[in-house]
Amino acid sequence: MFLALREIGRAKARFGLLVSAIALLVFLILFQQSLQNGLLTSFTGAVKNQSAPVLVYSVDGQRVLQASVITPDLEQRVRSTEGVGEVGAIRQGTFTGAPLTESENFDTSVIGYDAGADGEGLGAPASLSEGRLPTRAFEGVASAADARNGYGVGDVVRIVPGDAEISIVGIAQEAQLNVGPTIFVSNETYLELVAAVNPDAGVPPPNVLGVAPAVGVTDAQVVEAINGQSLELDALTRSDAAAKTPGVAQVQQSFAIIFLLYALVVPCVTGLFFLIVTFQKAGALTLLRAIGASARSLVWSLLLQAVIILGAGLALGILLYLPVSQTRLGGLELQFEEGAVIGWSIALLALGLVSSLFAARRVLKIDPMEATTGRGVGQ
Amino acid sequence: MNALELTDVRKVYPVGDSEVVALDHASLTLGQNEILALVGPSGSGKTTLLSIAGGILSPSSGKVVVGGEDISDYSNGQLTRFRQEKVGFVFQSVNLVPFLTAAENLFVVDELGPRTGKPARATAGKLLDELGLAERTKNLPSQLSGGERQRVAIGRALMNDPDLVLFDEPTSALDTGLGAQVMELIRSEMKQRGISAIVVTHDPRITEYCDRTVQIVDGELSA
Ligand SMILES: Nc1ncnc2c1ncn2[C@@H]1O[C@H](COP(=O)(O)OP(=O)(O)OP(=O)(O)O)[C@@H](O)[C@H]1O
Ligand SMILES: [Mg+2]
Repeated sequence: MFLALREIGRAKARFGLLVSAIALLVFLILFQQSLQNGLLTSFTGAVKNQSAPVLVYSVDGQRVLQASVITPDLEQRVRSTEGVGEVGAIRQGTFTGAPLTESENFDTSVIGYDAGADGEGLGAPASLSEGRLPTRAFEGVASAADARNGYGVGDVVRIVPGDAEISIVGIAQEAQLNVGPTIFVSNETYLELVAAVNPDAGVPPPNVLGVAPAVGVTDAQVVEAINGQSLELDALTRSDAAAKTPGVAQVQQSFAIIFLLYALVVPCVTGLFFLIVTFQKAGALTLLRAIGASARSLVWSLLLQAVIILGAGLALGILLYLPVSQTRLGGLELQFEEGAVIGWSIALLALGLVSSLFAARRVLKIDPMEATTGRGVGQ
Repeated sequence: MNALELTDVRKVYPVGDSEVVALDHASLTLGQNEILALVGPSGSGKTTLLSIAGGILSPSSGKVVVGGEDISDYSNGQLTRFRQEKVGFVFQSVNLVPFLTAAENLFVVDELGPRTGKPARATAGKLLDELGLAERTKNLPSQLSGGERQRVAIGRALMNDPDLVLFDEPTSALDTGLGAQVMELIRSEMKQRGISAIVVTHDPRITEYCDRTVQIVDGELSA
């Protein structure tokens, strides 16, 4: 304890540099973790954070809402599947949205669901940060990330062409689709929008079905039962649906490689640092061994230093990450990822400690006899 | 009880396929409160004998008894503890931990075993005082002169209240005048505490400060 702390105290610059390096790496890791999660949430948040526990796509839709089409025949099969409780139609289309308060237009995903009188039907946004669900025609709930771009409560978004207007009555958290503004409306409103944009379109079939299992049936059981009904049906739990959206896995893989590299750099830097320091102070360690320090106490001292330095690096890195995690980056809303902070802290601490075992091995190899031969420090 | 009894000690270093006999048939008895000068040419086995007496090195054969404690067959762990509690060392050159101040270089001895804390700090202060280093307690080794460093090392060797202190050429890095001063200091500290000591040297002038002289040539002792 004494030795470990004194050494750090006497070599503040050197240990400070290591702390800074670790802090920077921790910051980068956490920042990219936020970036990844922000990216995925704005990509598939509307799928993940809606109320239907199970979503049924058509197989040829390849798990893309807009590309999936549920024919009346398929819908009938789903409805008659054992274990299925409630079923709701969900439609999705991309429209050009022109918020009345803005001069700009935005590609806007509109999601229609069987809202019902209270707006709480299957496919409703799961958590509102403001306002209420749509209960009347031409009302909608917009994604929170876009509230300040004319999609806030009380704003009106005109859909062009056709000039139908949606009044925003609520704000849904983490409910974007395809990294753009997203509005949840009733299916009735959705069909009015489609008719306004293209009067010849007719009534489009649902893109997917939202399903709630019957009482006593699990989501997984319903998924299995529905998939057993037809080769053309592709039922998924909502979190699977989000995770298996095309592109998500690729994004995760790319980030995983980046994370792996960082996860290697931190222990490499730490391990190398302590190895070099151990070589440099070999004379002092030999002397200490010769005057009666046990090898174990010197190793503890080393590991204690590693814990202190890694802990300080982590704390500093998290401190740097804190303000950045509250910001927006382009269209992305970043968040402070507690899970990532805890997970990475544990992982990096463990990896750093493991890497300093190389230095510890060196300490264990020190022969106190060398103190007598005159080699080493002090002269 | 004698401070040290070496009986027929032999030490062989393996070097490649052959061996170097550094110490052969070495028998030596050191009485209570006796200061012994061990004199011999370079490579004669002085450091080897000292290392064996201090439990840094195990003999190839023979018996080593320090203050009544037979350490001949001690394990590494036992030797570490023995060094921690029973002997003081002043080495040929590596003597101080560079990132600890003079006072901390003494105090660190207390950290190696069961800590006593405050009393150890007091002892360290008192020792440095006696050694004329009261003004240098907060200096790092790099901020001390050669003679001061050697005195700090002597203080360090006394910190664990040893039965036996082993000095390996304590004055070789110092000029003649300073060497004499340091030897005087060693003698007075030993006699005052009633501690036995071996002082290795190849300087005959140093032997004047010792009670008895033993010669070593090619690993063999002669009075
Ligand atoms: N670790 C070792 N491995 C092999 N041979 C060694 C080792 N240590 C010492 N020797 C050899 O043992 C002999 C005695 O060495 P020792 O260090 O005891 O001599 P010394 O009398 O202290 O010499 P000096 O006055 O130069 O310090 C020498 O021949 C030396 O080369
Ligand atoms: Mg020697």
